[in-house]
Amino acid sequence: MSTHKKQMFCWSFLLVVFLVTLFSSYLTPYDANTMNMSEVYESPNGSHLFGTDHLGRDVLTRLIQGGKVTLTVATVATILSFIIGLIYGGISGYLGGVLDTVMMRIVEVLLTIPSILIILVCQAFMQGNIWSMILIIGLTSWYTTARMIRTEFLKLNQMEFVQMAKMIGTPSWKIILDHLLRNSIQAVFVVTLFNFAGAIFVEVSLSFLGIGVPPAVPSWGNMLYHAQSDFIAGAWWIGLFPGLLIIFTVLAINMIGSSSIKAKGGQ
Amino acid sequence: MTVKWMIKRMMMGIVVLIVVSFFSFWMLDQAPGNLAASYYGGNAQTLNASEIERINETFDLNRPMMERYFSWLQEATQKNLGYSSKEGRPVVDILSEKVPNTIVLVAVSLLLIIALSIPLGLKAGMKKDSILSKLVSNLSIIMSSIPAFWLGLVLIWLFSLQLGLLPSSGMKSIGSDGSLLDRLTHLVLPVTVLVVSHVGLYARFLQESVIVENTKYYVLVMNANGVDKKTIERGILKNALSPYISYFAMTLPSFFGGSVIIESLFSFGGLGQLLVKAVSSKDFPVLMGGVLTMGIFVVVTLFIADCILYIVNPQIRKEGVR
Repeated sequence: MSTHKKQMFCWSFLLVVFLVTLFSSYLTPYDANTMNMSEVYESPNGSHLFGTDHLGRDVLTRLIQGGKVTLTVATVATILSFIIGLIYGGISGYLGGVLDTVMMRIVEVLLTIPSILIILVCQAFMQGNIWSMILIIGLTSWYTTARMIRTEFLKLNQMEFVQMAKMIGTPSWKIILDHLLRNSIQAVFVVTLFNFAGAIFVEVSLSFLGIGVPPAVPSWGNMLYHAQSDFIAGAWWIGLFPGLLIIFTVLAINMIGSSSIKAKGGQ
Repeated sequence: MTVKWMIKRMMMGIVVLIVVSFFSFWMLDQAPGNLAASYYGGNAQTLNASEIERINETFDLNRPMMERYFSWLQEATQKNLGYSSKEGRPVVDILSEKVPNTIVLVAVSLLLIIALSIPLGLKAGMKKDSILSKLVSNLSIIMSSIPAFWLGLVLIWLFSLQLGLLPSSGMKSIGSDGSLLDRLTHLVLPVTVLVVSHVGLYARFLQESVIVENTKYYVLVMNANGVDKKTIERGILKNALSPYISYFAMTLPSFFGGSVIIESLFSFGGLGQLLVKAVSSKDFPVLMGGVLTMGIFVVVTLFIADCILYIVNPQIRKEGVR
């Protein structure tokens, strides 16, 4: 498959996933949280395509509904980290000098801290809220974006057209928005994409550990929370389908990311 | 020069540790509800005002946060991290039981990752269009798209439940005296998951640097002069190794993060599992101690990586500092 075709395929897959989760309430025949104790641990069959879980809830329904939570968390967190990175990196790169050095040193220190530590500490008391998850993921994933924006700003600041714009007295906000920002967006696109994949991973992993999204809310990670005991009970379908959906979604994102890197010819 | 460089790196590490510990301390202080209640545990609602006062007095919780942080820091430098609010034992004792396990797990995994990814990446990079090369680049994307814990679940299902070959959790079998073989079999699955989910990433990175190196002028000259393949390969590897080490160092923090999740999955009694447990039981002294220890882990491994980079790359040695 050519690179372009591959990318189109991945984009359309993501689009389908997004659309299905977006309209999940109209598509699913069952309610995500309705328990049915007479249909516990049913293997995939005609009425429950992906089987049922330990409380008799329809796995397919929860999978589709769960995407809403997981993808919302990941999307909003990514946007948040993008904005923080943009502002931080932008200030650092545009103003330069001592401030730039200090700000980049701070990022260097932050990069050394495993974000899971910060997340764990925050979850110790913020637990029980989707928005706290979003906040935490957003606040711990902006470093790379900030670094890239800063590099781009520094580079662009030296360019002739920016120098020229400054010379003829273009207001700085216009320079920042029109020249610096617009020309550096493409460079951070891939990083943002990988951040998005990373955010899905964080939500899924934390919810799997039972310290992420509150247990009552169906999310891809929460569905896997019980998977370990379900596997032992022989109910492989409860763990398999959410896992596969996570893998395909993240894979599509990663494919788009790495093929755009290749298209630009850089690392 | 070397001494100055080392001191500079160490200072950086200490700054990181202070930032991490201060941040965690501050965050935990911001926790809603009474600090005394978190020391009391499950039936904190039954506490009355005078009891809260008593707990506050005992643990000095009334003092301002900064004051408490500095006395914590002072005690921490003397290897006193306080007492677990759940177990009542010194945090240092709990940590010293768990840390060796994590060291074994992380060290074995890292060594295997390095030992596998370097030859893989080099071979794949040297022959740009070979099957191996395509395999490495494609598999690495696929492997990095699989959540490590899910891979662990599948391996548990396959090797523990279906085949019954390997234990699914813990450090040693129940009732066993913990012989070496028994411990090793318990290590196989966690290590496999960590290695499999990381090796592709690093192999691919090395592969790409090798491909870039391969196009350089010195390689062309060596080829033209009929230098044998082995020597060329060694030369390329030497040059491709420093970005590889930098990349390794850069991703180490997230590797440690991954090990936290894997430890919890396999109930592997290490630092990571302790941290997750401390979070769910709101055992703040243990959490603080664990966070600090994890920070030390990261800082020390980064320091080692930096030293290796310093030895491998003469450019850094000349410039002295980054």
